[in-house]
Amino acid sequence: MSKISFWLQRVAQLLIVLLLVTFGVSLLLRLIPVDLATILLPVGSEIERDLLRTELGFDKGPIGYYLQWLGDFVQGDMGKIYFSGGTEEVSTHLRNAMPRSLLLMIYTQVTALAIAIPLGVLSAYRVGRRADKITSNILFTLSSIPNFAIALLLIIFIGVKLAWLPTLGYAPLSDGIWEHFQYMIMPVISLSCGLVSTYTRLLRADMIAALREDYVTMAASKGLSDRRILWRHVFRPSSLTLLTSAALSMGALIGGAIVIESIFATYGVGFEVFFAIQGRQYVLLQSTVAVIALFYVFFNLVVDLSCGFVDPRTRDRRVNA
Amino acid sequence: MRSYSKPTLLAIGWLGLMLFFALFGWILPFKEWNYVFEDDLEMGLFSSGHILGTDSNGYDLLASIVAGTRMSIFIAVAAVGLGGLIGSVLGIFSAYVRGKVDTVMVTLFNVGLSVPNLVLALALVSVLATNVDINQAVPTWRRVMVLIISLTIILIPILGRIARGATMSWAGREFVTAARSMGMKDIKIITKHIVPNVLPALIAVAFLAVGVVIIAEASLSILGVGIPDGASWGGMIARGRNDLEYAPHTLYVPLFFLALTVISTNHLGDVVRSKLDSREAKV
Repeated sequence: MSKISFWLQRVAQLLIVLLLVTFGVSLLLRLIPVDLATILLPVGSEIERDLLRTELGFDKGPIGYYLQWLGDFVQGDMGKIYFSGGTEEVSTHLRNAMPRSLLLMIYTQVTALAIAIPLGVLSAYRVGRRADKITSNILFTLSSIPNFAIALLLIIFIGVKLAWLPTLGYAPLSDGIWEHFQYMIMPVISLSCGLVSTYTRLLRADMIAALREDYVTMAASKGLSDRRILWRHVFRPSSLTLLTSAALSMGALIGGAIVIESIFATYGVGFEVFFAIQGRQYVLLQSTVAVIALFYVFFNLVVDLSCGFVDPRTRDRRVNA
Repeated sequence: MRSYSKPTLLAIGWLGLMLFFALFGWILPFKEWNYVFEDDLEMGLFSSGHILGTDSNGYDLLASIVAGTRMSIFIAVAAVGLGGLIGSVLGIFSAYVRGKVDTVMVTLFNVGLSVPNLVLALALVSVLATNVDINQAVPTWRRVMVLIISLTIILIPILGRIARGATMSWAGREFVTAARSMGMKDIKIITKHIVPNVLPALIAVAFLAVGVVIIAEASLSILGVGIPDGASWGGMIARGRNDLEYAPHTLYVPLFFLALTVISTNHLGDVVRSKLDSREAKV
């Protein structure tokens, strides 16, 4: 029973955080020293602006405005983008942008883990040897280089000088696998370099600690092979840290994706944020930030939940904590 | 004193050079960073008269770097200083008092942390840097102020949570209980016993935070909301992006300075932290 109430409590906490985040963004918009209706409709008449004010609830004060936005948002109405010629639904924009960003995130995480896990296991196994030292140094340098630097260097060398890959744009999977991936390779590399080093360093430190545990000596004395000990007895508990770190790094990844998506013109969710700010589309900004926070918080919850499956020890510890 | 390893000395040396640029760059015999050398457009690296070359505007890149160092380091130090101060005061206080204050503070920190850094920074900058007359450009000094404030707000929950965690682990130790039982005032316990112990952890994170802020400033400038037309490393990168095909060195130069600085601060942060860990292990 206590387990269920623990999770209920956790979900309630997350809901409160989400409400406060969205309310904070909503308040922030009201802090803009300019009349929002004038920004959204720069060439409209005063009557049109008045209509917009009532429609969006700008006339209701901060809390009334927030409640109206929240009511619409929960029902899937995320507001509109205002052009000089008319309006577009934010939800259509996001529906178009979402798969691009999600694919970018998935490819990045998969690439990062696919490189980091063998590297981390290898350097933990050969700790202090040359292979370990070289990877440590390279990864440390890599972790300090910002992703936009990698992106720009890739564009200069692979995109412009060698002309191997297109530097701008996006193609959906339905256009063919190579079409799709040739647009994704450089963004994914730029985003995953930093993650690879974070993951590898974490996994290495964690596995070194696990290798000193008594049960490893026990397993070795039973005559189990190094490989089996490494993957079965050492990697499995260490992968928990990796999972948690994957969740934590999601925030940095989303932020990085904004820059990377706008450098490579991927037109994902990150680009929508950029577009909203450049074009002063504040309704778009508010809804997009809410979607990002929702996704981020939800992802963290899923990771928290799955930790219990990977390492049964944490289940009780968490409940008692 | 124990001796430092070679990379550590290099990192200290590089940061020293950057600090020299930032503080005493005006001594160096350069023209203004945005002085236009009309005859010397897009000169390559190591050209005569322009060691780091010029960009397509005719700005001397070395002069830009020195001015940019001043701006980027100023923003980083100001944001980390302010954010660290406010964050640690809030974190230490809430961990020491516990109870409802702590619950509220943790919730607020979580709210700040549940929006990805750069998204929050973008939202803050775009809102704070809006002019009353929307057709007028925002002056550079105001952009700088807005950047510092926004980055400070982002750092508060990050540093605050670390200060809180560190305080939690120290506030329960025997010497604090002993001090309290001797009738020491809470303020004095915090300043005499908690702060000196929490400080090393905060310093280690502050080094990392300087790197984060430098990168964030550059990212914002690339997105066009930082100081894209000003003298900062991010501004130089944003301008260099337009010339990347024909004068890529206008990108290499600021990227090199930025990367080396971030590597140095991260390395020093690691060094401080590992010293801290070995001290912890002895306790």
